[in-house]
Amino acid sequence: MLDKLGGGLRKALHKLASSVFVDKKVVEDVIKQIKRTLLEADVNLELVNELCEKVRKKASEKVPGIEKKEQIIKLIHDELVNILGAKSFKLEIDRKKKPYKIMLIGLYGTGKTTTTVKLAFYYSKRNYKVCVLGLDTHRQAAPEQLEQLAKKANVACFVDKEEKNALSVWKKFSDKLKKYDIVFIDTAGRDTLSKGLINELKTLNKVINPEKTFLVISADIGKAASRLAKGFSQACKIDGIIVTKLDGTAKAGGALSSCKEAKANVVFITTGEKLYDIESFDATSFVSRLLGLGDLKALVEKARLAFEEKERKKLEKRLKAETFTLDDLYEQIKAMQKIGPLSKIAEMIPGFSFLTSRASKLFDVQEEKLKRWKYAIDSMTKEERENPEMINASRLARISKGSAVSAGEIRELLKQYKIMKQFISETNLEQGIDQRTLQKLAKKFGKKLFLH
Amino acid sequence: MFRFLKEKLSKLLKKTEKEIEKAAEAEKEKIEKEREKERKVGVIGKIKKIITLTKLNEEVFEKFFSEFEELLIENNVAIEAIDFLHEKLRKELVGKEIERKKVKEALERSLKEALSSLLLEPFDLIEEIKRSEKPYVIVFFGINGVGKTLTIAKIAKLLKKNKITVVLAASDTFRAAAIEQLEKHSNALNIKMIKHKYGADPAAVAFDAIKHAKARNIDCVLIDTAGRMHTKKDLMEEMKKICKVSKPNLKIFVAESVVGNDAIEQAKAFDEAVGIDCIVLTKFDVDEKGGACISIGYVTNKPILFLGTGQSYDDLKPFNKEEIINALFS
Repeated sequence: MLDKLGGGLRKALHKLASSVFVDKKVVEDVIKQIKRTLLEADVNLELVNELCEKVRKKASEKVPGIEKKEQIIKLIHDELVNILGAKSFKLEIDRKKKPYKIMLIGLYGTGKTTTTVKLAFYYSKRNYKVCVLGLDTHRQAAPEQLEQLAKKANVACFVDKEEKNALSVWKKFSDKLKKYDIVFIDTAGRDTLSKGLINELKTLNKVINPEKTFLVISADIGKAASRLAKGFSQACKIDGIIVTKLDGTAKAGGALSSCKEAKANVVFITTGEKLYDIESFDATSFVSRLLGLGDLKALVEKARLAFEEKERKKLEKRLKAETFTLDDLYEQIKAMQKIGPLSKIAEMIPGFSFLTSRASKLFDVQEEKLKRWKYAIDSMTKEERENPEMINASRLARISKGSAVSAGEIRELLKQYKIMKQFISETNLEQGIDQRTLQKLAKKFGKKLFLH
Repeated sequence: MFRFLKEKLSKLLKKTEKEIEKAAEAEKEKIEKEREKERKVGVIGKIKKIITLTKLNEEVFEKFFSEFEELLIENNVAIEAIDFLHEKLRKELVGKEIERKKVKEALERSLKEALSSLLLEPFDLIEEIKRSEKPYVIVFFGINGVGKTLTIAKIAKLLKKNKITVVLAASDTFRAAAIEQLEKHSNALNIKMIKHKYGADPAAVAFDAIKHAKARNIDCVLIDTAGRMHTKKDLMEEMKKICKVSKPNLKIFVAESVVGNDAIEQAKAFDEAVGIDCIVLTKFDVDEKGGACISIGYVTNKPILFLGTGQSYDDLKPFNKEEIINALFS
């Protein structure tokens, strides 16, 4: 999703690093590239100019070229993080307050209803008793949509298919909601230019008085983002922004601009149509990903959601332990299929991101390969899985025959296993990874994994 | 629409005119001085030419365009489309002799022409349907949440008003309550809808709807498909299958006018996968900037048929190229 934006920025920075003398012309070229990249990502022009001015100032300081590159990367990194919210957002839910009300608002077709249920699903997996409430009384079949999604997510759902007044729906259910820890409220899509709908929002906000109000914004929105964010923040206080549809090619620059306008940070992003395609947002890791530094934190978070609680603990233990077996790799492959397409995962792994632009085709093949690896693992004995080092030529031939997977592919699997094992032993996923380690790892493993 | 752009554009044009004027003035003085020195008769003709005609040099043009560019960016025109305009205008304007005092008009004309070349004049859908063999099949597609279903309802109403019989195909068998949503529209408009269960093959729904139309002598079939991200290969394959089975007369790409630079990527991907015949831009009431029509027009080179301008069935406006462009400069 963000490879293009990241790619542009990286190209600019590479240029800076590769020039022997960083003179004015080089700096201007770099700034031009950065500017274009950000504008193509729909970042607000004012914001872009501001950022470029800062880079220009920084670049004119007298420091050697290589250090200058690092400084400028850091500057861009920090500036972007700043706009998106330097403090990582943590939703503190007061369990005593029942129900804790979270309301979602936004323009038509941004994905409010789907996001409402995704959020409910997300918190139900974290041991909260949750429900969803449908206050979209305008759009056709909105209550039905919420109801069907909630059923899939296995969360309680309150809708009234006949009532045309959102406030009456709220009044009707407000007593029943008190049994729940959190209620997620879906509202009708609205434009800030239409007075009637904005007044409805104001009334809802006043009567319901939600603990948190999130603005839902589509990643592909253009320059209208600023105006919308401003309009919504005037109607009611916005506590956070959720960026949807990040699985497309959009670079979500409009969302960046809205953050500034609404004076709120991004709290969640959604990246697909499945219920677990939602990630809590961390500006630092997001920007790292943007600049091509990879993001293991998000990957771990995503894996956490895909696994059931029990499996998760098991995997964490396994990833920690040095005894990583083929069985674990098998589990991981299974989990990966739950997490999403490989190209998405690749973006999050340091060193892989540089590949994503041309990798989507490569990854489609990879997915096929994963399937065959699974067959091969199924054909192994328990001992072989736990101790793959013991697989010799004759065992390999047997496995190959049993699974109808070529010996070459099985060797590749074993190689992958070896790399993964080494990777795990050198990383501590629990403590998180600082940027320097990340870059180091990227260098080391990025080449190993994909350039063979 | 374009309110903001209009003001700035007219200021910019005036400014550029002044600059050119200044440059011409300087040039004139220079030549007059030369004339004093040389005192040659032949030069008089040259002066006359410079007084009445002026040339736009590269520097002035780049200065003018960089401001024009910012205007376009602020108005949501995608960078790729702007690059195209830049190249086109540069070729046309740099070094061109323009009559003095008429610089503003000349610039305006060039800008209009350049923008106009990005947009195509839409055809008359109703005439087209009436002219064609029955049933006329239209398939609608686009990314999630752009407003495909409502657009179909709006077009269905328009066709019905023009005495064209319509059947709807609920080929969005994926999204929760998508079938119910279209069904409510079909009830409200009193138009027949063909549906299957959720998870059914969308191409099969379309096929049944066409069969129904043939059996009942219905003029037009409108196929609603699930919103899909252009990056999802499997879903794009599904879209290809729907088109293969339904053999549509018209493939309409539905996009929202608030979309930014990503418009280019989306339109390209859909055009490559299934081929776009024409476009409906929704949520036009939301965005007074309206740059998306320029971006999408540029990348697809296909006409925009309608603009969606609100939540009710009648909020469907035929796209008028002249109107859009003139709105910029009036």
